[in-house]
Amino acid sequence: MKNAILVKRNDPRSDGESNDRQLLELKHLADSAGYNVIAEMTQTRHPGRKYQVGRGKVDELAELVQENNADKIIFYNQLSTTQIYNISETCSCQVMDKFQLILEIFATRATTARSKLQVELARLEYELPKAKTIVSLLKKEERPGFMGLGGYEDSYERDIKGRISRIKKELKSMEKDSVSLREHRQSMGFSLVTLAGYTNAGKSTLFNALVEENTTVKDMLFTTLVPTTRFLKVMGRDVLLTDTVGFIEDLPHWMVDAFRSTLNEIFLADIVLLTVDSSEPLESIRNKLLVCHETMWDELLDAAIVTVFNKADKITAEELYERISGLGYLAPNPVAVSAKTAFGLDMLKDELRKHLPKWERTSIVLPMNEEGMSMVSWLFDRAVVHNIVYSENIEIDLEAMDRIINKALILSSKYLDDN
Amino acid sequence: MFDIIAVDISGRHKENGQYLMVCAAVAASITAHHVEKVNQINIRSFRSKNAPDVPMVVKMIEDTISGLDFTGTIVTEAGDMYNKPQWLINSMFQGKFKYQESLGERRCIEIAHHVSLSSRKLLLKEQNV
Repeated sequence: MKNAILVKRNDPRSDGESNDRQLLELKHLADSAGYNVIAEMTQTRHPGRKYQVGRGKVDELAELVQENNADKIIFYNQLSTTQIYNISETCSCQVMDKFQLILEIFATRATTARSKLQVELARLEYELPKAKTIVSLLKKEERPGFMGLGGYEDSYERDIKGRISRIKKELKSMEKDSVSLREHRQSMGFSLVTLAGYTNAGKSTLFNALVEENTTVKDMLFTTLVPTTRFLKVMGRDVLLTDTVGFIEDLPHWMVDAFRSTLNEIFLADIVLLTVDSSEPLESIRNKLLVCHETMWDELLDAAIVTVFNKADKITAEELYERISGLGYLAPNPVAVSAKTAFGLDMLKDELRKHLPKWERTSIVLPMNEEGMSMVSWLFDRAVVHNIVYSENIEIDLEAMDRIINKALILSSKYLDDN
Repeated sequence: MFDIIAVDISGRHKENGQYLMVCAAVAASITAHHVEKVNQINIRSFRSKNAPDVPMVVKMIEDTISGLDFTGTIVTEAGDMYNKPQWLINSMFQGKFKYQESLGERRCIEIAHHVSLSSRKLLLKEQNV
């Protein structure tokens, strides 16, 4: 296990509680990436151009690195390439910021070809604006080309741009596959429900509890990186439930773009189950809900949102009521659930059923022949059949989406016209 | 449902030696994730030779919402108030004030943004004619 020192620069007059929360989150992220956090350091000041923190603090950091044999210094604040270079030169230790740490977690957990490409894209987009500085810092002494007039910078930048466009093209074709798969699923009569929420809110545990599945669950940030979809029956209706990657505060835009195809699962769902960890303090839940709203708001179409107050077993009924009523303006359609003890799962299914896309209920008469029977079997697959009577003909009372009913009506009207 | 007045100001940049700003206030009833009903919209234009500071932005917003026959919490983007802390800005308004948070509030501010932007474009077009 590698040893790491965490550093955070706090803005003057910023909120102390949120600073503590952000540092704790950085610690959780470092744990998730497999680092052993040996020390933490904070400084309150405006950002310095050379080191982000003050010169004296960097010297202090260098001493701390030597004393503790640290392998990495992890900053909460975003660092420029020059700052990373300067700090690592002074401390003789590798330096990274929060975004690089998230990228590292994603890179180690990426298993599918698609997620590997997404991680690579995110890394390249992060590196692109820094490409010129990286090369000029690395080749400080070297002057390439005739009389030192050439340059490495452009070729490296061009190379990155080329790789980015190649990966984007590949991801686009993969996305097309998943779009057609999604459309196919919807035409088959499935409604799409997606679990979304802040990282470590218990989405995967809830997913497992709902579909009786065994996806990996850990008390760790970013356990889930690849969306998993499973079938779920909700009071007669067929639903596909998808577990997705969690949101995190200050996730930069390039990263959201890189994981767009993952986030599309959320944006194109019929219902979003916005999961929150209700055992946390009210202010922390509010902040996390804010991050979720901010990430989703521009892309979310007309999906219904059901807010799941998960981990309800960890708090008292009064505390739960206080959280649900206090966050009403951020948490639509709240349901209290404990995925661990299965408390409230039936209520959640009731709420889900209420918000599923409306299906029409109608009665249809079908002929009692081979064609009619095959239509009945097709309808059983795609609709909710409330009642069926076999006599001279087949009378069927069903609930389905318009497209399915229209198809059955064509056969029915043909039969009725003939008679 | 919550009653809010979403406000957005367009044109906070110098053009032809002056600032031509349009402030739009949208009075709406919203839920956490939807705008349920837009009750009223009011727009006002303002001209200034200097860049607007926070008290001026507050005055522009107060002037615009005074034309509304509606009470609700004033909601803006944090950037409109130069990212100053909410408690500070809250104390400068007569009514309640908050920064945007929920999907419903964001959608309402989006409406205000489109209204102010298109009205400013119209004003500039009329001026040129």
